[in-house]
Amino acid sequence: MENTIKVERAILNLTQDDLAKRIGVSRQTINSIEANRYVPSTVLALKLSDVFNKPVNDFFKLSNDD
Amino acid sequence: MKIDKLMECERNTFYKLINFRLPSQFMIIGIAVVLLSIVMMFIRAFAMDGDTEGLKLVLQKFLLVGMLIMSLSKDKLEDEMTIALRAQSYAIAFVVGVIYALVMPYVEFGVSNVINSGGESFKNLGDFQVLLFMLMVQLMFYHNLKRYR
Repeated sequence: MENTIKVERAILNLTQDDLAKRIGVSRQTINSIEANRYVPSTVLALKLSDVFNKPVNDFFKLSNDD
Repeated sequence: MKIDKLMECERNTFYKLINFRLPSQFMIIGIAVVLLSIVMMFIRAFAMDGDTEGLKLVLQKFLLVGMLIMSLSKDKLEDEMTIALRAQSYAIAFVVGVIYALVMPYVEFGVSNVINSGGESFKNLGDFQVLLFMLMVQLMFYHNLKRYR
């Protein structure tokens, strides 16, 4: 799974900490998601979608090995 | 309909049991209990005379309870990733604990007989040793997984 959360966050001018507070997780969790070390649950993905105001498919993409 | 409600009730109770965690403040209580038990163990071993075997067993239980409290207490900010890491650490601790319980008696027996011929006889590990090892592995892996996440 690949994602463009870092880009989306930059567009909204949010820090990792800001985004983490908005969706109720720790900053380290956002860092792990951005680095593709952790794949979030559907609930978290939908919360991110809500913050970015975009469908989940726009910032999460399946990679070749998925 | 009644069976459905009963099943739903059972499912809810089951999930409540699975998701049971102590509040984050309990971590400090757990650490205090563990430290106190260790200090008392040293005092018992080096500064107490007479038969203190009963006290040793009580202190071992306190040490395990303290570590269990540490293991069950929530983080200050608990999210789905920490829950996943905790589950992973319990799985690792279980597997490593079983391997330890199976292998360690042979290692102890072997080492004892290599060092001095006719050393200790073969004996299985006690419950305290296995539980302490499993709790230590769980706490260590959980905090390491969290650090490297």
